[in-house]
Amino acid sequence: MIDKTIPSFDDAVEDIHDNAVIHFGGFVSPWNSPSYLVSALARQGAKNLTAISTSMGRGPDQAHLQTPWLPEHLTPTDFWDVGLLAKLGRIKKGIASFAVGHRHDLVYPFEERLSRGEVELELIGQGSLAERIRCARAGIPAFYTPVGPDTSVAEGKEVRYFNGKPHILETALHADYALIRAYQADRFGNLIYKGARTFNATMAGAATITIAEVDEIVPLGSLQPEHIHTPGAYVQRIIQRPKNPTLSWEESS
Amino acid sequence: MNEPERLTREIMAMIVTRDLFDGAIVNLGVGLPLECANFLSRDKEILLHSELGLLGFGPVVNDYRKADPYLTMVGGVPVTAHPGMSFMSHDESFALIRGGHIDVAVLGGLQVDQEGNLANTQLIGKPAGNLGGAQDLAYGAKKTVVLMYHTTSRKEKKILERCTLPLTTPRCVNRIVTDVAVIDVENQGLVLREVATGWNAEMVQSITGANLIIDPELKEIEL
Repeated sequence: MIDKTIPSFDDAVEDIHDNAVIHFGGFVSPWNSPSYLVSALARQGAKNLTAISTSMGRGPDQAHLQTPWLPEHLTPTDFWDVGLLAKLGRIKKGIASFAVGHRHDLVYPFEERLSRGEVELELIGQGSLAERIRCARAGIPAFYTPVGPDTSVAEGKEVRYFNGKPHILETALHADYALIRAYQADRFGNLIYKGARTFNATMAGAATITIAEVDEIVPLGSLQPEHIHTPGAYVQRIIQRPKNPTLSWEESS
Repeated sequence: MNEPERLTREIMAMIVTRDLFDGAIVNLGVGLPLECANFLSRDKEILLHSELGLLGFGPVVNDYRKADPYLTMVGGVPVTAHPGMSFMSHDESFALIRGGHIDVAVLGGLQVDQEGNLANTQLIGKPAGNLGGAQDLAYGAKKTVVLMYHTTSRKEKKILERCTLPLTTPRCVNRIVTDVAVIDVENQGLVLREVATGWNAEMVQSITGANLIIDPELKEIEL
């Protein structure tokens, strides 16, 4: 029998080791981020991690700024991103499209450590980041892209001309773990997403172990095959979010 | 001499939306370009695209009670569902961009130069920039419009012979819409097409750091 359901978030991330390379899914929103997997990893304590994430995160103190359109009493208390791990000093290197606050008065935890030279950053445009991850899932080791020649991202990369135009060689980004968020899953690990699928659907399968945090685990057979976005073959573990949000990342779930 | 009044951000956005064709697929960058979403003509069907995997969404939701938190665009801003809307993953979304399926990208700019080079990612005083999806959009869109103020808040010139900030994407800008002018980037250089009411070519040139070629049919901006 196949059942990829994991009983607790602490169990779901238990084996993540120091120096692991990790995909963090979502796109800086409480409704598409794998918040409980992030908080469980924060409690678990693995360090010297390489984080691959579109943004290096706001961290716990500024997470509420992501939903300025919501009144304070409705702001989710259970939104944690890779910024939490940066704040706790668990990140050694970030591979991301957004590394710093977009305003001078917004300084995020990773940015603080970057200014002090404590972390390493590989800044890459979002399209190349997404394709590097997709290629890892699809078993393609590298690809040429027309995006990036004559800019900072081209430094040290092979250039080749196709149709008279320069292209740079980008390599696949495979991870040890992918922490992603989906809306529904069945016990085979088939997933559907709600709204834009962001980096969640891109990262599913681009790691040795893909762990999906979902709003709901539904009985096998209740997801329509035509509607499944990520086939279960890409997913090793699924875990359902708690019905009642926890208030602190330190609280087990 | 006192400078004539400059255009508001709303009027600037309306200049961009004025020129969008019926059926266009359009990506709006964060900040000023997003303002365009509020001024789309009802007579045209425009499909808005957002990098996180959203195509064909409706206007921004202003009342949080009507917001669907699962339906947000870049910046986490809630938007409305719209008939014909579709969702996709990030890699699919950028295949759309890189593959040339976006008609117009409207991006913010820190500097644009006479070759159409764009710099819009390096934040002064920060240890790194934020590239986001700007490189892909500026490269992949069939037309790249930069919507920005003509000068910085310190009156520094932003339209230059050569960008001094790190480039986001080389040779990508087709049109620059500012609070005083509409300028096209052509092979021969920057062509001044339209000026705001009260402005003339000479005045626009005086706050521009590159030579402007004056369109013989130069006109006042009309919406």
